[in-house]
Amino acid sequence: MIRLEHISFRYRSAQDPVLRDVSCHIRRGELVGLLGRSGSGRSTLASTLNGTIPHLVRGDLTGRVLIDGQDIRTQRPRDLADRIGFVFQDFEAQLFSTNVSLEVAFGPENLGVHPTEIARRVNSCLGVVRLSHLSHKAPAALSGGQKQRLALASVLALEPTVLILDEPTSDLDPAGRRELLEAIRSIRRTRDLTLVMIDPETDEMGWVDRLIVLDQGRVAMDGTPAALWDRADEMDALGVKGFTLAKLARCLGVSERWVDADAAANAIRTAGWGGAPGVAARLRLADAAHAGGEVLLEVDGVAHRYPDGTEALRDVHCAIRRGEFVAILGQNGSGKTTLVKHLNGILTPSAGEIRLRGKSLRGQPATALSRRVGLVFQNPDHQIFAERIWDEVAFGPRLQGLAEVAVAARVEEALEAVGLAGMGDLDPFILTKGTRQRIAVASTLATKPEVIILDEPTTGLDHAELQGMMALIRRLNEAGHTILIITHAMDIAAAYARRVVLMQGGRILRDGPTREVFADEAGIGQTGLTPPPIVQVGNRLGVPALTLDELVSCLSRTAEPPNRRTPGPPP
Amino acid sequence: MNLFLYLDRQSPVHRLDPRTKLGLLLASFLSAVLFVTPVPLVSLLGVLLAYGAVGRALGNLRRIWFLLLSIAAISVVSWSLFAGGTTPLFWRVTTESVTYGVGAALKIDAMIISGLVFLSTTRSEEMVLGLIRMRVPFPMAFAFSLAIRMVPTIIGTAVTVTEAQRSRGLDTESGGPLARLRTYVPLLVPIFLHTLRNTDQLAKALESRGFGARRERTSLLTIGFHGRDAVALVAGLVVLGLFAATRILSGP
Repeated sequence: MIRLEHISFRYRSAQDPVLRDVSCHIRRGELVGLLGRSGSGRSTLASTLNGTIPHLVRGDLTGRVLIDGQDIRTQRPRDLADRIGFVFQDFEAQLFSTNVSLEVAFGPENLGVHPTEIARRVNSCLGVVRLSHLSHKAPAALSGGQKQRLALASVLALEPTVLILDEPTSDLDPAGRRELLEAIRSIRRTRDLTLVMIDPETDEMGWVDRLIVLDQGRVAMDGTPAALWDRADEMDALGVKGFTLAKLARCLGVSERWVDADAAANAIRTAGWGGAPGVAARLRLADAAHAGGEVLLEVDGVAHRYPDGTEALRDVHCAIRRGEFVAILGQNGSGKTTLVKHLNGILTPSAGEIRLRGKSLRGQPATALSRRVGLVFQNPDHQIFAERIWDEVAFGPRLQGLAEVAVAARVEEALEAVGLAGMGDLDPFILTKGTRQRIAVASTLATKPEVIILDEPTTGLDHAELQGMMALIRRLNEAGHTILIITHAMDIAAAYARRVVLMQGGRILRDGPTREVFADEAGIGQTGLTPPPIVQVGNRLGVPALTLDELVSCLSRTAEPPNRRTPGPPP
Repeated sequence: MNLFLYLDRQSPVHRLDPRTKLGLLLASFLSAVLFVTPVPLVSLLGVLLAYGAVGRALGNLRRIWFLLLSIAAISVVSWSLFAGGTTPLFWRVTTESVTYGVGAALKIDAMIISGLVFLSTTRSEEMVLGLIRMRVPFPMAFAFSLAIRMVPTIIGTAVTVTEAQRSRGLDTESGGPLARLRTYVPLLVPIFLHTLRNTDQLAKALESRGFGARRERTSLLTIGFHGRDAVALVAGLVVLGLFAATRILSGP
């Protein structure tokens, strides 16, 4: 179907090639997961599969890409559109039509498909991605998850036999991700479909036929998920997240492959492992040490209505204490970002009040508040403007009117904290997304706020960058900053946050210690979220562990015979 | 938040052929530029508001009232001061200059409202179809509609960038002209780069969805002239004729 023969590619503006001598053969009907750290060449490789490279991107391509035996150089992406569908990572930029139906119709219209057939395809594709009820809505009015599904539908309407998806679930909450993957599986049940998908969430890729891990432009690993199952360490070393359950299995000396948390819990129990007595109480006791100091921020009965009438927040109450590490979780559109924009005065509540150290924010300008509550926006590119990292980070302190000596001290300190010391002269725009994210954090840090809020700080980062970013945020918390993060990554919330605020439909549904909230799977499930695999396994074994290390340290060989019933979670 | 102007409603104006609506838009512009005095322009504004009401588009006025009001205020104030005239009112202001300022304000606002009614009742895809029927090549018609579609997208980016920079302490609201100019750099650079990157992505996405693959393109939407289009065009011509006659009869 698709054959790559010794592919190398160098972007015209770059020194070194991104792809180096890649050869592989993707067979008809195969489901391929493409993994690799950022800069490994994943997206570049995907772009060669429909001719975006070399036809729309400048650079040097050597070797051959053959689609059904035909060289890609002789076919433009538009000529392949009815065979190879490509859903790009940046879904916002792909949508331009007046309504959802017309967005889906655009592709088949270009191919000259008869209008009756277009109407049929629009109906069926919207059905597959479950957007039929929104067919007359404007794409811009959809939530992030709905937009990603629409981008998929608009490509499916071309009825391609090969589908290439570049991080199709990057902005999706767990429920949205499940829906998207379910949509793809449902197409496969009705017709022949070859799939190449880039997705950093290895744990969600167990269902594909084959995983290819790229490293520095070369194929580093290539095999079935089963074959790569117990090579988690190697994957970690390549900047790709290895299977979490495989790591657990190895820690317990079990060599089985577990498909999900239920299977894992059963196998662990069968092998004679169980929660050591009193572990739950011990874990909770340790948590209590991080309860936080005095109340810093108080959200009191806050509601927010946007000018178009959307009620984004309704009667929200919560208090943030000094030194806390809070994760705000919830589906796309549940009001998380709207809430945090109130905390630094960017938005003003329609009703209710926000207080910082007892003083109402009403009437205080956002510019003054920025020194006390720092907000790092989701996309660093919405704020980076300077040509040197140093100037970018110095922007906030300079606005505070500090003397240049003091500014310099602040910048050095902030760059040191994010691991960019000595790199102040570099141009932010040539650096990776992960580095730009660090620059954004540094520029907030340099204003020395008491509270730092980060909106999706790990979106678009690879596994290694993500670990680095979270370690940085934890260090800031340990150094005394109060931290709030918004995230869709449940494993991050579990591993780092001490407290979880669960939002749904503009209200706070649950607010409590991370351990408590994640132990209640039914409760968290109401919002379409699921705890990460490790927490699920722990819950089934009666151990409220939040990380792999915690779980392993809490399990011990029980004296009981195998297959005994484990005690339920303590009250 | 939806920044696009199109209102998905049923109305007689929505059902008109896009070419008819383009014709009416043109007629309204011609009528507007005929006059400098307020009285006929007020009647033109009345006609356009009635047209907008039939098209159920006036709700969108709420979204641009500030723009309409600021343009009117700037126009009245600046023309009053600088247009000159013979009947002094006070200081440099004359009856003629005030009248001229009010006329200019009405003229610009009438044109904006006419454009608003068009965009509120016409999908960009219909506009593309209309242009194609008028023998504009598809890539050009599509680029034109895309340019109009880009405006709200860029406004959306601008809102986010402004929020992000205000969160870093940038004061976008006060200060003198020079200070203000300096605050624009941190806003304009990210907006520009973001838009550029989006455009590049869009070009790739369009191509992969078959844009330009075939000479003949089909369309899910259909347009065509009906009796109502003839009625609307005749009405538009009559109104334009009346205004033109008024202009000619009232002398230079």
